[in-house]
Amino acid sequence: MVSRKRTDTAINTLRMIPTKWAIVLVALLIGYVLLQPRLNQWLGWNLPSVASLVGDEKPTTKKEPKPTKEVVSKEKASEKVTGNVTENTSDKKTSDKKSEIAQASTTKTANRTNDPVPKDSAPKDSRPKDAAEDKIHGILKDLGRNRFESPEGLVYGPGSEEGHRLKHIERHLEDQPSRPGPHGVFDGDMKAFLVAIDRAFAMANKGAKGSSKKEDDGAVVYEATFEKPIGFLGGTDGKRRKNPALKKMRVVVRGKSVITAFPVQ
Amino acid sequence: MTSPLIYVESCPVCGDGLCRIRICVTNQRLTGLVLCDECETMWTDPSMQERIAPSSSETEPKCPTCNQSLWGDQSHWASIGEVCLLGWFDRVRIAKV
Repeated sequence: MVSRKRTDTAINTLRMIPTKWAIVLVALLIGYVLLQPRLNQWLGWNLPSVASLVGDEKPTTKKEPKPTKEVVSKEKASEKVTGNVTENTSDKKTSDKKSEIAQASTTKTANRTNDPVPKDSAPKDSRPKDAAEDKIHGILKDLGRNRFESPEGLVYGPGSEEGHRLKHIERHLEDQPSRPGPHGVFDGDMKAFLVAIDRAFAMANKGAKGSSKKEDDGAVVYEATFEKPIGFLGGTDGKRRKNPALKKMRVVVRGKSVITAFPVQ
Repeated sequence: MTSPLIYVESCPVCGDGLCRIRICVTNQRLTGLVLCDECETMWTDPSMQERIAPSSSETEPKCPTCNQSLWGDQSHWASIGEVCLLGWFDRVRIAKV
Protein backbone atom coordinates (compact mmCIF):
# COMPACT_ATOMS: atom_id res chain seq x y z
CA MET A 1 0.00 0.00 0.00
CA VAL A 2 2.68 2.42 1.01
CA SER A 3 4.74 1.66 -2.12
CA ARG A 4 1.73 2.28 -4.42
CA LYS A 5 1.18 5.67 -2.81
CA ARG A 6 4.87 6.49 -3.30
CA THR A 7 4.74 5.46 -7.00
CA ASP A 8 1.66 7.65 -7.56
CA THR A 9 3.40 10.54 -5.86
CA ALA A 10 6.44 10.11 -8.13
CA ILE A 11 4.26 10.04 -11.27
CA ASN A 12 2.42 13.16 -10.15
CA THR A 13 5.74 14.89 -9.51
CA LEU A 14 6.92 13.94 -13.02
CA ARG A 15 3.75 15.40 -14.51
CA MET A 16 4.50 18.71 -12.82
CA ILE A 17 7.97 19.15 -14.36
CA PRO A 18 8.62 20.02 -18.04
CA THR A 19 8.63 17.09 -20.51
CA LYS A 20 12.28 17.38 -21.52
CA TRP A 21 13.43 17.27 -17.87
CA ALA A 22 11.12 14.35 -17.24
CA ILE A 23 12.74 12.45 -20.13
CA VAL A 24 16.21 13.20 -18.75
CA LEU A 25 15.20 12.01 -15.27
CA VAL A 26 13.64 8.82 -16.65
CA ALA A 27 16.79 8.17 -18.72
CA LEU A 28 18.95 8.67 -15.66
CA LEU A 29 16.68 6.37 -13.69
CA ILE A 30 16.91 3.62 -16.33
CA GLY A 31 20.67 4.07 -16.46
CA TYR A 32 20.87 3.73 -12.70
CA VAL A 33 18.70 0.61 -12.71
CA LEU A 34 20.94 -1.01 -15.31
CA LEU A 35 24.26 0.07 -13.84
CA GLN A 36 23.61 -0.25 -10.09
CA PRO A 37 24.17 -4.01 -9.71
CA ARG A 38 27.19 -3.96 -11.99
CA LEU A 39 28.77 -0.99 -10.22
CA ASN A 40 28.24 -2.78 -6.90
CA GLN A 41 29.84 -5.87 -8.37
CA TRP A 42 32.78 -4.19 -10.11
CA LEU A 43 33.66 -1.49 -7.65
CA GLY A 44 32.51 -3.10 -4.43
CA TRP A 45 30.06 -0.27 -3.76
CA ASN A 46 26.81 -0.68 -1.93
CA LEU A 47 24.42 1.40 -4.04
CA PRO A 48 20.78 0.75 -3.13
CA SER A 49 18.54 -0.70 -5.81
CA VAL A 50 15.60 1.33 -7.14
CA ALA A 51 13.25 -1.17 -5.55
CA SER A 52 14.83 -0.63 -2.16
CA LEU A 53 14.61 3.14 -2.66
CA VAL A 54 10.94 2.81 -3.47
CA GLY A 55 10.58 0.64 -0.38
CA ASP A 56 9.85 -2.81 -1.83
CA GLU A 57 13.16 -4.29 -0.92
CA LYS A 58 15.61 -3.92 1.93
CA PRO A 59 18.97 -2.43 0.99
CA THR A 60 21.55 -5.13 0.42
CA THR A 61 24.51 -5.17 2.72
CA LYS A 62 27.69 -6.48 1.29
CA LYS A 63 28.52 -9.67 3.11
CA GLU A 64 32.20 -10.30 2.92
CA PRO A 65 33.63 -13.47 4.31
CA LYS A 66 35.46 -12.90 7.58
CA PRO A 67 38.40 -15.18 7.25
CA THR A 68 40.85 -12.51 8.36
CA LYS A 69 39.74 -12.37 11.95
CA GLU A 70 39.41 -16.12 12.15
CA VAL A 71 42.80 -16.67 10.64
CA VAL A 72 44.34 -14.13 12.98
CA SER A 73 42.75 -15.79 15.97
CA LYS A 74 43.91 -19.17 14.73
CA GLU A 75 47.37 -17.81 14.24
CA LYS A 76 47.39 -16.53 17.76
CA ALA A 77 46.12 -19.85 19.00
CA SER A 78 48.73 -21.75 17.08
CA GLU A 79 51.42 -19.42 18.39
CA LYS A 80 50.37 -20.26 21.89
CA VAL A 81 50.50 -23.92 21.02
CA THR A 82 54.08 -23.32 19.78
CA GLY A 83 54.11 -25.55 16.81
CA ASN A 84 51.65 -28.17 17.99
CA VAL A 85 49.28 -28.85 15.10
CA THR A 86 46.62 -30.62 17.17
CA GLU A 87 44.17 -27.76 17.31
CA ASN A 88 40.43 -27.52 16.64
CA THR A 89 39.51 -28.85 13.20
CA SER A 90 35.81 -27.95 13.19
CA ASP A 91 36.08 -24.85 11.02
CA LYS A 92 36.12 -25.97 7.41
CA LYS A 93 36.96 -22.55 5.98
CA THR A 94 40.15 -22.26 7.95
CA SER A 95 41.16 -25.88 7.84
CA ASP A 96 43.07 -25.40 4.60
CA LYS A 97 45.14 -22.69 6.20
CA LYS A 98 46.08 -24.79 9.18
CA SER A 99 49.21 -26.40 7.92
CA GLU A 100 50.39 -23.03 6.70
CA ILE A 101 49.74 -21.37 10.03
CA ALA A 102 51.25 -24.22 12.00
CA GLN A 103 54.30 -24.03 9.83
CA ALA A 104 54.51 -20.30 10.36
CA SER A 105 54.25 -20.67 14.10
CA THR A 106 56.92 -23.33 14.06
CA THR A 107 59.11 -20.93 12.16
CA LYS A 108 58.42 -18.16 14.62
CA THR A 109 59.15 -20.48 17.51
CA ALA A 110 62.38 -21.57 15.93
CA ASN A 111 63.40 -18.01 15.26
CA ARG A 112 62.77 -17.06 18.83
CA THR A 113 65.31 -19.54 20.13
CA ASN A 114 68.17 -17.17 20.58
CA ASP A 115 69.57 -18.98 23.55
CA PRO A 116 73.29 -19.42 23.41
CA VAL A 117 74.68 -22.88 23.03
CA PRO A 118 75.39 -24.48 26.39
CA LYS A 119 78.99 -24.85 27.37
CA ASP A 120 79.24 -28.56 27.49
CA SER A 121 76.55 -29.93 25.25
CA ALA A 122 75.05 -29.56 21.85
CA PRO A 123 71.61 -28.01 21.93
CA LYS A 124 68.88 -30.56 22.56
CA ASP A 125 65.96 -29.19 20.69
CA SER A 126 62.53 -30.55 20.10
CA ARG A 127 62.11 -28.80 16.78
CA PRO A 128 61.24 -30.80 13.68
CA LYS A 129 64.35 -32.29 12.22
CA ASP A 130 63.25 -31.88 8.62
CA ALA A 131 62.48 -28.18 8.99
CA ALA A 132 64.79 -25.56 7.50
CA GLU A 133 64.93 -24.00 10.95
CA ASP A 134 66.65 -27.04 12.37
CA LYS A 135 69.65 -24.80 12.72
CA ILE A 136 71.23 -23.00 15.60
CA HIS A 137 70.21 -19.35 15.69
CA GLY A 138 68.45 -19.94 12.38
CA ILE A 139 71.62 -20.10 10.27
CA LEU A 140 74.20 -22.43 11.81
CA LYS A 141 74.44 -26.00 10.64
CA ASP A 142 75.22 -28.60 13.28
CA LEU A 143 78.45 -30.40 12.42
CA GLY A 144 78.39 -32.56 15.54
CA ARG A 145 80.71 -32.46 18.56
CA ASN A 146 79.28 -29.08 19.48
CA ARG A 147 80.59 -27.45 16.33
CA PHE A 148 78.39 -25.30 14.11
CA GLU A 149 78.99 -24.00 10.61
CA SER A 150 77.75 -20.74 9.13
CA PRO A 151 76.61 -20.38 5.49
CA GLU A 152 80.02 -18.82 4.66
CA GLY A 153 81.82 -21.80 6.18
CA LEU A 154 82.90 -20.25 9.47
CA VAL A 155 82.95 -22.74 12.32
CA TYR A 156 81.93 -22.00 15.89
CA GLY A 157 83.15 -24.65 18.27
CA PRO A 158 84.26 -25.28 21.82
CA GLY A 159 86.88 -22.91 23.15
CA SER A 160 87.44 -19.61 24.92
CA GLU A 161 87.01 -18.79 28.56
CA GLU A 162 83.25 -19.18 28.22
CA GLY A 163 83.57 -22.75 26.90
CA HIS A 164 82.13 -22.11 23.45
CA ARG A 165 82.85 -19.52 20.79
CA LEU A 166 79.17 -18.66 20.48
CA LYS A 167 79.11 -17.88 24.19
CA HIS A 168 82.24 -15.84 23.79
CA ILE A 169 80.99 -13.64 20.97
CA GLU A 170 77.71 -13.25 22.83
CA ARG A 171 79.62 -10.93 25.18
CA HIS A 172 79.47 -8.40 22.37
CA LEU A 173 75.71 -8.17 22.42
CA GLU A 174 75.87 -6.13 25.61
CA ASP A 175 77.98 -3.30 26.86
CA GLN A 176 80.38 -3.76 29.74
CA PRO A 177 80.71 -0.13 30.82
CA SER A 178 83.26 -0.85 33.54
CA ARG A 179 85.53 -2.98 31.35
CA PRO A 180 88.79 -1.12 30.74
CA GLY A 181 89.43 0.02 27.19
CA PRO A 182 87.13 -0.42 24.22
CA HIS A 183 84.37 -3.00 23.99
CA GLY A 184 82.58 -3.27 20.66
CA VAL A 185 78.86 -3.88 21.09
CA PHE A 186 76.70 -5.24 18.27
CA ASP A 187 73.27 -3.69 18.02
CA GLY A 188 70.99 -6.67 17.39
CA ASP A 189 70.32 -10.21 18.41
CA MET A 190 72.56 -13.25 18.05
CA LYS A 191 71.13 -14.27 14.69
CA ALA A 192 71.72 -10.80 13.23
CA PHE A 193 75.19 -10.79 14.73
CA LEU A 194 76.07 -14.13 13.10
CA VAL A 195 74.71 -12.92 9.76
CA ALA A 196 76.78 -9.72 10.03
CA ILE A 197 79.91 -11.72 10.90
CA ASP A 198 79.37 -13.90 7.85
CA ARG A 199 78.84 -10.85 5.68
CA ALA A 200 81.97 -9.14 6.99
CA PHE A 201 83.96 -12.32 6.35
CA ALA A 202 82.63 -12.56 2.78
CA MET A 203 83.24 -8.86 2.11
CA ALA A 204 86.83 -9.06 3.35
CA ASN A 205 87.47 -12.19 1.29
CA LYS A 206 86.21 -10.43 -1.81
CA GLY A 207 88.30 -7.36 -1.07
CA ALA A 208 85.28 -5.09 -0.86
CA LYS A 209 85.76 -1.38 -0.26
CA GLY A 210 86.69 -0.65 3.35
CA SER A 211 87.63 -4.24 4.05
CA SER A 212 90.92 -5.91 4.87
CA LYS A 213 92.42 -9.30 5.59
CA LYS A 214 95.60 -9.62 7.64
CA GLU A 215 97.44 -12.73 8.71
CA ASP A 216 98.85 -12.75 12.19
CA ASP A 217 100.69 -15.81 13.54
CA GLY A 218 98.28 -18.38 12.16
CA ALA A 219 95.21 -16.27 12.80
CA VAL A 220 93.58 -14.14 10.13
CA VAL A 221 91.97 -10.85 11.08
CA TYR A 222 89.15 -9.88 8.72
CA GLU A 223 87.65 -6.43 8.72
CA ALA A 224 84.77 -5.00 6.77
CA THR A 225 82.98 -1.69 6.83
CA PHE A 226 79.20 -1.66 6.62
CA GLU A 227 77.14 1.11 5.10
CA LYS A 228 75.24 1.74 8.28
CA PRO A 229 76.24 1.50 11.95
CA ILE A 230 76.12 -2.05 13.29
CA GLY A 231 76.78 -1.22 16.91
CA PHE A 232 78.51 1.15 19.25
CA LEU A 233 81.66 1.51 21.26
CA GLY A 234 81.25 0.35 24.83
CA GLY A 235 83.61 -0.27 27.73
CA THR A 236 85.27 2.58 29.59
CA ASP A 237 86.53 4.04 26.29
CA GLY A 238 83.04 4.04 24.87
CA LYS A 239 81.57 5.54 28.02
CA ARG A 240 84.14 8.32 27.98
CA ARG A 241 83.43 9.07 24.31
CA LYS A 242 79.65 8.85 24.67
CA ASN A 243 79.33 5.49 22.90
CA PRO A 244 79.98 6.44 19.28
CA ALA A 245 78.37 4.32 16.57
CA LEU A 246 80.50 1.68 14.85
CA LYS A 247 80.30 0.60 11.24
CA LYS A 248 83.17 -1.84 11.09
CA MET A 249 83.25 -5.52 12.03
CA ARG A 250 86.43 -7.38 12.94
CA VAL A 251 86.50 -11.18 12.79
CA VAL A 252 89.45 -13.21 14.08
CA VAL A 253 89.62 -16.65 12.49
CA ARG A 254 92.04 -19.52 12.91
CA GLY A 255 91.68 -22.01 10.07
CA LYS A 256 87.93 -21.95 9.66
CA SER A 257 87.27 -21.52 13.37
CA VAL A 258 86.04 -18.21 14.64
CA ILE A 259 88.07 -17.07 17.65
CA THR A 260 86.17 -13.85 18.17
CA ALA A 261 84.23 -11.15 16.35
CA PHE A 262 83.05 -7.71 17.35
CA PRO A 263 82.21 -4.25 16.01
CA VAL A 264 85.20 -1.97 16.00
CA GLN A 265 86.03 1.62 15.18
CA MET B 1 81.38 -7.91 45.25
CA THR B 2 83.63 -6.68 42.47
CA SER B 3 86.72 -8.64 41.52
CA PRO B 4 89.91 -6.97 40.37
CA LEU B 5 90.72 -7.32 36.70
CA ILE B 6 94.45 -7.49 36.20
CA TYR B 7 95.74 -6.59 32.77
CA VAL B 8 98.79 -5.24 31.04
CA GLU B 9 97.18 -3.22 28.25
CA SER B 10 94.61 -3.38 25.48
CA CYS B 11 95.46 -5.99 22.90
CA PRO B 12 97.59 -4.61 20.06
CA VAL B 13 96.42 -7.44 17.79
CA CYS B 14 92.63 -7.35 18.01
CA GLY B 15 92.17 -3.95 19.63
CA ASP B 16 89.25 -5.03 21.78
CA GLY B 17 90.72 -7.57 24.18
CA LEU B 18 92.68 -7.08 27.36
CA CYS B 19 96.08 -8.69 27.71
CA ARG B 20 95.78 -10.44 31.04
CA ILE B 21 97.97 -12.68 33.13
CA ARG B 22 97.06 -16.33 32.74
CA ILE B 23 98.35 -18.95 35.16
CA CYS B 24 98.75 -22.64 34.44
CA VAL B 25 99.56 -24.97 37.30
CA THR B 26 100.80 -28.44 36.44
CA ASN B 27 102.61 -30.72 38.87
CA GLN B 28 102.85 -27.84 41.34
CA ARG B 29 104.73 -25.84 38.75
CA LEU B 30 103.30 -22.42 38.03
CA THR B 31 103.58 -20.93 34.56
CA GLY B 32 102.57 -17.36 33.91
CA LEU B 33 102.02 -15.74 30.56
CA VAL B 34 100.11 -12.89 28.99
CA LEU B 35 96.95 -13.85 27.12
CA CYS B 36 94.45 -11.66 25.27
CA ASP B 37 90.99 -12.48 26.62
CA GLU B 38 89.47 -11.71 23.23
CA CYS B 39 91.67 -13.03 20.41
CA GLU B 40 93.84 -15.34 22.56
CA THR B 41 97.15 -14.01 21.36
CA MET B 42 99.90 -14.99 23.84
CA TRP B 43 103.09 -13.34 25.03
CA THR B 44 105.75 -14.73 27.31
CA ASP B 45 105.66 -11.79 29.75
CA PRO B 46 104.21 -8.29 30.30
CA SER B 47 106.91 -6.65 28.20
CA MET B 48 104.96 -8.17 25.30
CA GLN B 49 108.07 -8.38 23.18
CA GLU B 50 107.92 -12.10 22.53
CA ARG B 51 104.88 -13.85 21.18
CA ILE B 52 104.05 -17.49 21.79
CA ALA B 53 103.01 -18.84 18.42
CA PRO B 54 100.32 -21.48 18.47
CA SER B 55 100.47 -24.30 15.94
CA SER B 56 98.32 -23.71 12.90
CA SER B 57 95.88 -26.49 13.77
CA GLU B 58 95.22 -25.25 17.30
CA THR B 59 92.04 -23.42 17.99
CA GLU B 60 92.74 -23.11 21.70
CA PRO B 61 95.68 -21.44 23.38
CA LYS B 62 97.98 -23.95 25.03
CA CYS B 63 100.41 -23.70 27.88
CA PRO B 64 103.98 -23.70 26.50
CA THR B 65 105.12 -25.72 29.51
CA CYS B 66 102.58 -28.55 29.76
CA ASN B 67 100.87 -28.18 26.37
CA GLN B 68 97.41 -28.26 27.96
CA SER B 69 94.62 -25.90 27.06
CA LEU B 70 94.78 -22.59 28.86
CA TRP B 71 91.00 -22.85 29.24
CA GLY B 72 91.37 -26.13 31.14
CA ASP B 73 90.74 -26.68 34.83
CA GLN B 74 94.43 -26.36 35.67
CA SER B 75 94.45 -22.78 34.40
CA HIS B 76 93.01 -19.48 35.65
CA TRP B 77 93.43 -15.71 35.57
CA ALA B 78 96.15 -14.60 37.95
CA SER B 79 95.38 -13.17 41.35
CA ILE B 80 97.31 -10.18 42.70
CA GLY B 81 99.35 -12.61 44.82
CA GLU B 82 100.31 -14.69 41.81
CA VAL B 83 101.25 -11.58 39.84
CA CYS B 84 103.52 -10.58 42.74
CA LEU B 85 104.98 -14.09 42.80
CA LEU B 86 105.84 -13.79 39.12
CA GLY B 87 107.48 -10.41 39.81
CA TRP B 88 105.11 -8.66 37.39
CA PHE B 89 103.12 -6.47 39.78
CA ASP B 90 104.76 -3.24 38.61
CA ARG B 91 103.86 -4.00 35.03
CA VAL B 92 100.14 -4.56 35.38
CA ARG B 93 97.09 -2.40 35.88
CA ILE B 94 94.23 -3.30 38.13
CA ALA B 95 90.64 -2.37 37.38
CA LYS B 96 87.49 -3.13 39.31
CA VAL B 97 84.73 -4.53 37.13
